[in-house]
Amino acid sequence: MDTLVQLENVTKRYDGAPVAAIDDVTLRIDAGEAVAIMGPSGSGKSTLLNLIAGMDRPTSGAVLVGDDRVDQLSEAGAARFRRKQVGMIFQFFNLLDDMTVIDNVLLPAQLAGAKAKAARQRADELIDTLGIGPRRDAYPARLSGGERQRVAIARALINKPALLLADEPTGAVDTTTGDEIGRLLLDLNAQGQTLILVTHSPELAHRYAQRVIHIADGRIDSDTRVANGPVPGARP
Amino acid sequence: MSAVFRAARGGLGGRKLQAIIIGLVVLVATAASTLALGMLADAHSPFDHAFASQNGADVAVTVDTSIASAADIAAATKVAGVTAVAGPFAAENVNAQVSIPGINGTVNNPMNLVGRSSPGGPVDDLTLQQGHWATSDNQIVISSNAPGQLGSTITVNKHVMTVVGVANSVTNTADAWVLPAEMNAIAGSGQAQLLYRFSSSGSSTDITNDINEIKAALPSGAVLGGPVSYLDIRESEQSNVAPWVPFIIAFGVIALVISVLIVVNVVGGAVVAGTTRIGVLKSIGFTPSQVVACYVLLVAVPAVTGAVVGVVCGNLLAAPLYRQNAQVYQVGVLGVPFWVDLAVPLAVLALTIAAAVAPASRAGAMSPVQAIATGRAPRPRHGFFAQRLLARLTGVPRPVTLGFASPAARPGRTFVTVVAVLFGAAAVTFGVGLSISLNRVYNDISNGARMPVQVSAPPPGALGPLGPVSVGPGRGSKPHRVIHVIINGPGPGTLTAAQQHAITTAIAATPGALHYLSEADDNLSLPGLGDVDGGAQVTAYGSGDPSWSKLVLISGGWYSQSASTPEIDVNTLFLTDTNTTVGDTYTLVNGTRKVTAKIVGQVFAPGNDVSIYMSNATLTAIDPTVAGPSTYDISLKPGVNADAYASALQSTIGNNYGVNADSGGGKALLAVVTLVVLLTLLIIAVAGLGVLNTVALQIRERSHDIGIFKALGMTPRQTLTMVICSVGITGLVAGIVAVPAGILLHHNVLPAMAHAANSGLPASVISVYSVPEIVILALAGLVIAIAGALLPASWAANSRTATALRTE
Repeated sequence: MDTLVQLENVTKRYDGAPVAAIDDVTLRIDAGEAVAIMGPSGSGKSTLLNLIAGMDRPTSGAVLVGDDRVDQLSEAGAARFRRKQVGMIFQFFNLLDDMTVIDNVLLPAQLAGAKAKAARQRADELIDTLGIGPRRDAYPARLSGGERQRVAIARALINKPALLLADEPTGAVDTTTGDEIGRLLLDLNAQGQTLILVTHSPELAHRYAQRVIHIADGRIDSDTRVANGPVPGARP
Repeated sequence: MSAVFRAARGGLGGRKLQAIIIGLVVLVATAASTLALGMLADAHSPFDHAFASQNGADVAVTVDTSIASAADIAAATKVAGVTAVAGPFAAENVNAQVSIPGINGTVNNPMNLVGRSSPGGPVDDLTLQQGHWATSDNQIVISSNAPGQLGSTITVNKHVMTVVGVANSVTNTADAWVLPAEMNAIAGSGQAQLLYRFSSSGSSTDITNDINEIKAALPSGAVLGGPVSYLDIRESEQSNVAPWVPFIIAFGVIALVISVLIVVNVVGGAVVAGTTRIGVLKSIGFTPSQVVACYVLLVAVPAVTGAVVGVVCGNLLAAPLYRQNAQVYQVGVLGVPFWVDLAVPLAVLALTIAAAVAPASRAGAMSPVQAIATGRAPRPRHGFFAQRLLARLTGVPRPVTLGFASPAARPGRTFVTVVAVLFGAAAVTFGVGLSISLNRVYNDISNGARMPVQVSAPPPGALGPLGPVSVGPGRGSKPHRVIHVIINGPGPGTLTAAQQHAITTAIAATPGALHYLSEADDNLSLPGLGDVDGGAQVTAYGSGDPSWSKLVLISGGWYSQSASTPEIDVNTLFLTDTNTTVGDTYTLVNGTRKVTAKIVGQVFAPGNDVSIYMSNATLTAIDPTVAGPSTYDISLKPGVNADAYASALQSTIGNNYGVNADSGGGKALLAVVTLVVLLTLLIIAVAGLGVLNTVALQIRERSHDIGIFKALGMTPRQTLTMVICSVGITGLVAGIVAVPAGILLHHNVLPAMAHAANSGLPASVISVYSVPEIVILALAGLVIAIAGALLPASWAANSRTATALRTE
């Protein structure tokens, strides 16, 4: 499989911090893979995700996603990169409370300048597929945690990104809902979606990823294939 | 209490930007309020302030030294009631030739010249406005009312002196000053000036008694002319000031209101933004009153700093502004009264604390959990409909619709911002209209603009020769297409038929004249005019069309030269004093002569003089002693330079006639317009700062949302667009509303100013707003709003996505 994400000797040190948040990390992720990044609080998991998404810039090293040298992009360039290549799913959903479900989902497409009709069609498909069709005109405050995360997933997928980044996607929901979200992600990966998933739950990591990277103090501790894990591109 | 201080200190350290904004807003509000309140206070009695600060002379006396000896004069300085005296100063009335640098020729000007070794003294402390006092021979200091400027030369009795300073005497005790030794050389010591301050001088009776004391101490006939009382000058100055008071009040009130609004908005918003922190403080044991104390301290520290610096800045800014104001009022010096320097910062601080107490008390009353939740995730309670509606506009870029929907989320704050921008934009509309109106009054309607050149002949026995051709701008003037006349020589006399013929022949022979009118002037005491000083000023234009005078009519028409019933035109003060109106008849009475005339028009001629315009025939009927015209007034064809024309006419007509030109408006208009511009800019700055704060608060509150937008692919330019659009609609709405508000203000203030100047207003002075101007002015609010939003918008655009997402 082709390499989609490549990190070469990436270090991220915040101003005044005694230790690096990410310390000389080299990593390759192939297209279609589902990779879980695990580690304790403060280990650098979210920082790694932010670097891959171009939401932060490394202190040194190179970050490549597809053909884009993400670490060298300007703010505008990084924003355009994220529109095209990346879908973000956050632990606390990060939906906009004053917009309806459909407007939240449409937002990335509108920012990218997509044609209104086509974007609407795609949004409707995603909303229906994710089982939140009846809630399309509701506001996030009226939704359950699981519904909000589905909205977030729909929003992340509207521009058909090459890469889906999920930062603790089940961290703010109950176990049952978490399982539902996990199965959704698994489904997506089975359809070929590259997925990088940050979690501190070993169970989640082993159930929904083919590969688990353990990170501690900003360094990769281990990088193992999951035995009997999901096969990339295969339906469960 | 130490916990409160520590919490406040920690809060200040963690929110430096907020503290800076609070400090800055309080600074600007304090400076603006200091200026505005100071100007309002000065408008009430600028002469009194200036008189007190300059130790003005209650009475100025000129003594004939050929009658009064030095001992007599010394005794006159010690009369009963004198608290201070300056002098005797050598004084003389001289004929001076004044030159202006860069302009050919000189202006003849009678001057009251006084010898003084320094500008200071126990009485009549002169204010040096430009340059320095004379330090050697051949140097002269002129009054700000006298012709000339720094660098001019003034020749008196063949002594050539250079103007090294411009000074102001609050009671106009002289036109110019030289050193005593120079005075002796120029004019000898035939007269002496004494300046007095008395213990009792509050009324005209007191002044009369004081003058009698002086006269009693001097030999009979030693006191020349009538001693000058400060009360007469005060009355004249008050009438100079009165027309300006309404506009000063308008600007002053706008500045104060906008300052209050902005302070309340900024401080209130800052405390609301700290709701989470309040919740945390409460959770660790702070009581509601400790929370309030903490937040009062948190805003008080930058506010006190801002208030102190603001007072200093207000006084510094006041210096050039008050200089303009003093010129407008024609008083020597104005300054910020001490009580204003004290009251304003205290009031602004009190306002700041009050603005902090309310939201802090509200937050302090919440449970800790509620406060933390409210502050951490402030759920929007408004703006859903707007957001939804605007999302449907698929043809409009999404950042634009996001921005347009934003004001609806915080209607209260949006309203305050709209009001602040509205005031700023209304000030712009008002200021622009006022400047145009005043420009029309000074440049189009003033004597100098209408009939720029006058010709006269000095009466027999006039002092001194006419000197060389006197062509050049007169006092306070600058070269202008059409300029006003100063009569040459000591005063006009009636022109004989031969002189009239000579003048009209010379005018015809000199290319450039458009029209000319002969002018006969008279002064009549007429019944029904109360106790107006000096009676009525009567002007009779010759056989020409009186409309050539270009005096603007407020209503009615010009008198007809050939009407069967005599017709007159009058100014507003005449109508007011006689309780008549256009169309009424009025009987002019002069001794045994009576002429009943019809009032056919109201002329725009503001001031303290009643003015009547009539034909020669009517004037002859009421006062046959006026034998004929004393002056010819000439208006010029477009493009003809008045100085050049006057010079050419003088050489044609010869030196037996006085020809002079003077431009109108000039210094006074510049002073007023500069004042208007400065005040408008100040108000715009305060309004812009208010917008900056609102946007900064908005960005701070929505920084997490902005992080989400950026994470979803919003570029920096799109972020900038969104933020600018969030204030754009506010600014546009405010601007559109501001235009009629500003016009309404203009249409109310200007008549009030005219009323204070005893006049109505011609339509051309009121109707100054054209459609293109209105459209441009409507954009003023948009410009103010965008200017205020640019800085915080660029912060938002350039912030790192990850940093923004982490913001709670």
